[in-house]
Amino acid sequence: MSRPLLSLLTFLFLSIICNAFSPENPTDRKVLVLLDDLSVKSSHSLYFQSLQSRGYDLDFKLADDPRVALQRYGQYLYDALILFSPTIESLGGSLNAAAILDFVDSGHDLILAADASASDLIREIATECGVDFDEDQAAMVIDHTSFAVSDTEGDHTLIAGDNFIQSDVILGKEKIKAPVLFKGIGHSVNPANSLVLKVLSASPAAYSANPKSKLSTPPTLTGSAIGLVSVVQARNNARILISGSLSMFSNRFFRSGVQKAGSTINHGRSGNEQFVTEISKWVFHERGHLKAVNVRHHKVGEADEPSIYRINDELEYSLEIYEWSGTSWEPYVADDVQVQFYMMSPYVLKTMSTDQKGIYYTSFKVPDVYGVFQFKVEYKKLGVTSLSLAKQIPVRPFRHNEYERFITAAFPYYGASFSMMGGFFIFSLVYLYHK
Amino acid sequence: MAKSSATKDAQALFHSLRSAYAATPTNLKIIDLYVVFAISTALIQVVYMALVGSFPFNSFLSGVLSCIGTAVLAVCLRIQVNKENKEFKDLPPERAFADFVLCNLVLHLVIMNFLG
Amino acid sequence: MLCQLQFLTKNGIYDFWNWFDDRTWYPLGRVIGGTVYPGLTLTAGTLWWILNSLNIPLSVETVCVFTAPTFSALAAWATYLLTKEVKGTGAGLTAAALLAMVPSYISRSVAGSYDNEAVAIFALIFTFYLYIKTLNTGSLFYATLNALAYFYMVCSWGGYTFIINLIPMHALLCIVTGRYSPRLYIAYAPLVILGTLLAALVPVVGFNAVMTSEHFASFLVFLILNVVGLVYYIKGMLTPKMFKVAVTLVVSAGLIVCCAVVAVLVALVASSPTKGWSGRSLSLLDPTYASKYIPIIASVSEHQPPTWPSYFMDINVLAFLVPAGIIACFLPLTDASSFVILYLVTSVYFSGVMVRLMLVLAPAACIMSGIALSSAFGVFTRSIKFASIGKQDDAGDIGNGVTQNHVVKPDRNEEPPKEKASRKKKKEKENVEKAPTAAKKSERRLLMLPMEASVVAILLLVLLGAFYVVHCVWAAAEAYSAPSIVLTSQSHDGLHVFDDFREAYAWLSHNTDVDDKVASWWDYGYQTTAMANRTVIVDNNTWNNTHIATVGTAMSSPEKAAWEIFNSLDVKYVLVVFGGLVGYPSDDINKFLWMVRIGGGVFPHIKEPDYLRDGQYRIDNMATPTMLNCLMYKLSYYRFVETDGKGFDRVRRTEIGKKHFKLTHFEEVFTTHHWMVRIYKLKPPKNRLRGKTKKSKSKPTSTISKRSATQKKNPWQ
Repeated sequence: MSRPLLSLLTFLFLSIICNAFSPENPTDRKVLVLLDDLSVKSSHSLYFQSLQSRGYDLDFKLADDPRVALQRYGQYLYDALILFSPTIESLGGSLNAAAILDFVDSGHDLILAADASASDLIREIATECGVDFDEDQAAMVIDHTSFAVSDTEGDHTLIAGDNFIQSDVILGKEKIKAPVLFKGIGHSVNPANSLVLKVLSASPAAYSANPKSKLSTPPTLTGSAIGLVSVVQARNNARILISGSLSMFSNRFFRSGVQKAGSTINHGRSGNEQFVTEISKWVFHERGHLKAVNVRHHKVGEADEPSIYRINDELEYSLEIYEWSGTSWEPYVADDVQVQFYMMSPYVLKTMSTDQKGIYYTSFKVPDVYGVFQFKVEYKKLGVTSLSLAKQIPVRPFRHNEYERFITAAFPYYGASFSMMGGFFIFSLVYLYHK
Repeated sequence: MAKSSATKDAQALFHSLRSAYAATPTNLKIIDLYVVFAISTALIQVVYMALVGSFPFNSFLSGVLSCIGTAVLAVCLRIQVNKENKEFKDLPPERAFADFVLCNLVLHLVIMNFLG
Repeated sequence: MLCQLQFLTKNGIYDFWNWFDDRTWYPLGRVIGGTVYPGLTLTAGTLWWILNSLNIPLSVETVCVFTAPTFSALAAWATYLLTKEVKGTGAGLTAAALLAMVPSYISRSVAGSYDNEAVAIFALIFTFYLYIKTLNTGSLFYATLNALAYFYMVCSWGGYTFIINLIPMHALLCIVTGRYSPRLYIAYAPLVILGTLLAALVPVVGFNAVMTSEHFASFLVFLILNVVGLVYYIKGMLTPKMFKVAVTLVVSAGLIVCCAVVAVLVALVASSPTKGWSGRSLSLLDPTYASKYIPIIASVSEHQPPTWPSYFMDINVLAFLVPAGIIACFLPLTDASSFVILYLVTSVYFSGVMVRLMLVLAPAACIMSGIALSSAFGVFTRSIKFASIGKQDDAGDIGNGVTQNHVVKPDRNEEPPKEKASRKKKKEKENVEKAPTAAKKSERRLLMLPMEASVVAILLLVLLGAFYVVHCVWAAAEAYSAPSIVLTSQSHDGLHVFDDFREAYAWLSHNTDVDDKVASWWDYGYQTTAMANRTVIVDNNTWNNTHIATVGTAMSSPEKAAWEIFNSLDVKYVLVVFGGLVGYPSDDINKFLWMVRIGGGVFPHIKEPDYLRDGQYRIDNMATPTMLNCLMYKLSYYRFVETDGKGFDRVRRTEIGKKHFKLTHFEEVFTTHHWMVRIYKLKPPKNRLRGKTKKSKSKPTSTISKRSATQKKNPWQ
């Protein structure tokens, strides 16, 4: 009985963690970088070097190179993809939007950068991931209150953005002090879509319109509904970064200083490098990647895992959660991991306590209902891989000999029955032997 | 007047019943005593249940039904052994008693099973 | 049922008694020990154990297959015993011979039909025999055996309530008609007490033995019987005058107490909404109850009232012999014969309510017909015998023979008129002239019939019996021998075998994981568990109406809602039965109205009028949109148009309404050869959620990269 359960469990483990790379080392190694212009390789060299210094193996190709291939003989050749080709209409080789989306659906990560002249292909890929770019092809994000003060750009399309998402997992522990320079198109995100998060939103005064022409109608995309940079964590924990500006990654923006309009502080260096580096760490699973192993449950006092529980049993449940630190698995410490004892609705919901070394445990009493229950752990925290574990276990009612043997309230009845038997015995004696 | 006549009638009835009953043979009287014992035990249990509640209902059922069953079986024995019953005149009393014992055995076996 | 026996033989009785089955009624599970009638399983288990301990290594399946025929043979023997107690050995033999062949009982005791009725009918007849025997002899020994046989009946079948209501009815009848005797007391009182105790021992019945209205009749009659017995006893002791005094006293005092008790009882009973009766019993008493309140009971085809032809099919000639038997039982009327009459009358009523209960009518009909036939044969053969003697002697000897005849068989006085009456019913053509001639001859009240008439009558009766035998053999071979899981049909090119069910179950057992859950309508639950060995959601036991209603609601909802419901039950595969390609009439679309009714009974958002057009369920282009969008329609007719281009459904005899559609939340994984069973898998939730921008259909596919056409942005700026 435990064998199929164990295989089911291992299958679940594998489905939590990305299928592509080995579960022991979830960080991507080989990355394909598709560019529409090879000069991007040098104009964005600081970014690429930061990746290579962390051990990534980058493979630069032109986006319409006919020799470009993501997979060969059914095996994927790369662990992640960076698409820095906003103007590309059709990709070379066997690649197209569907192939890229299959790549993501099989558990691989994607960084997508669009720009003012984003092609339909890039927009389509973004829409499939849950991010809708402004349909107006010529629109850019304009902000008259949060633009970056500069001598050259006068139409306020260069924005100093600092509406970051509050998440240490995605953006790192260190606060990004300087605003991030952004120049490009904005997008909107469906609030009902739980998989997409806006990492950098525009300020409430921003709007998306064509900077060169006069506005005839109010713009459709306004305010903080505009997302500048978004991330998507798919259900199989593949991570996608979608940015509306390619130049956000460029050396020029990395090195330049920034002064936000209306503020007196002039930062010597923009926050782009820190922002982009931290978010890339997150996208490539260097942070916020969990694995759950060693799910165990047993009755209090025993060590073996039983195949069936009885109602009103006391049991203990434990599992271990580890977080990938980029180089090794560290114990994950949190106080909000919960386990449910579930049969069509949770009968027991307990927050698990931890010993700070990655083991989470709790104990509770099996409810007074029999049936087929599941131990369910559904851990979905912002920016962290979602844990979805379910282990099925039946719960049986009392056996006929597991009830109390003698009930005090029933003693008169016991007495009556035995007196009947005694009376029968005495009566038959008297009846038979009387004269 | 009707009331006194009723009481007089009741007394006369009572006397005739008593005299008729005194004529019954001893073995039948023993059976009657046994029946009375069983029924009274049953009544005690019912009163107890009315006070305490019927929690171990199976115990209550088995207790009460054992008493009533014993009473019924004893009445059956009485019917068979009573010499005034024409229908049973060729039934040997030993056979009747053996049947009675068998039935009681079954009854008590079931009671024991159902009690706890 | 088979897997219960396998569990019992493998694990022993204690584990079987406590078995909690977690592979059915997922996720509620089912406590087998407390919800199943253990009689059949324990009987077969005992047989298997005995045979194996004698070193006859029969497998469990073999024992199952042959249990029913063994017990039907025992049932014939029990019928012989019962009828012997009522009328004599001749009638007993005839009745046993009739029961051995009656199609109604054969249908439920075919080798391989492993259901409760196989042993229950034997237990029923045997219990009745012991009751009558006790009534006739007044022996406490038989009363004990009677209680034990009743216990066996309670273990076997829910129909035991018939016994526990019929016997009190008969006791009451005896008291009312002045036939109270001490033997009645001995027959009835121990049965009630011991029987109730034994019934309470069976977990399925438990405390229902004292709490439900179905058993109250027995307690009431028990009280009445005790009172009557006491009254007779006192009457025997007192003089008549004193007795009258006693009666007036008791009546006046006791009446008040009685009224109080009755009032309390009525209040208790009336406080429960069904007055303490279970749904099935109520639907028996009021045939329209189930269709109004409990759609699940109404939906079982066995619970429908039978048609007239089904009477002729199931008990054939006996239907005509039964009235003759009733008359024979009245001459003379004994306790035993009054019991048999009562049994017949009640079983005729109940068989008229529910076709499944024809099975209870069959033994009664056989007994009655046996009595009638044997009495008829007796009269005719005696007539022949005495007619041949009488021809040699003169009138005096005939008179002697007549008086001898009279002394020996005192009840033959009434035979000729009865025989005339019964024969008239059957063979009016021949007997019309015989009867007047007999009447003319019998100026001195001859007790026998003319020899020619008797010979002809005997021949005709034998012919009747022959017709009966032929019909029974035909019915057994044609109608009741086919297994319901493999269907056959005759067509112009020979015998066609439709083995789709086994094909589908084999696919399931080979291509799915052991722990995968399969959802289907409840008819296929036992088969799926037994043959595919997968966990099911609902099965034939139908003990939980809400769970069945959940499945019914899911089948009647649109795809997304159905997916949500099935996902909440952890279902992986959905199985539907579809007969539209080959014309198989009992498929899920024909059962769909029950899914809607049962689902709508628990979940009010499923409204039956949404699926009806002009009061009818339709699947053609006049069907309602709710019907065309529901899951059952989609799963049955997905890709159906590919078979013949038009999508013509052979069962409903019309083209389907919605022909080309895609499934969004399910994917088809298997369809059997004749499209009779279709299996679908639930699609997992999407990995990414799409944004709101519509896909542009008119996307130009240009092979030339447009990169050169647009102004290249200088990345250095």
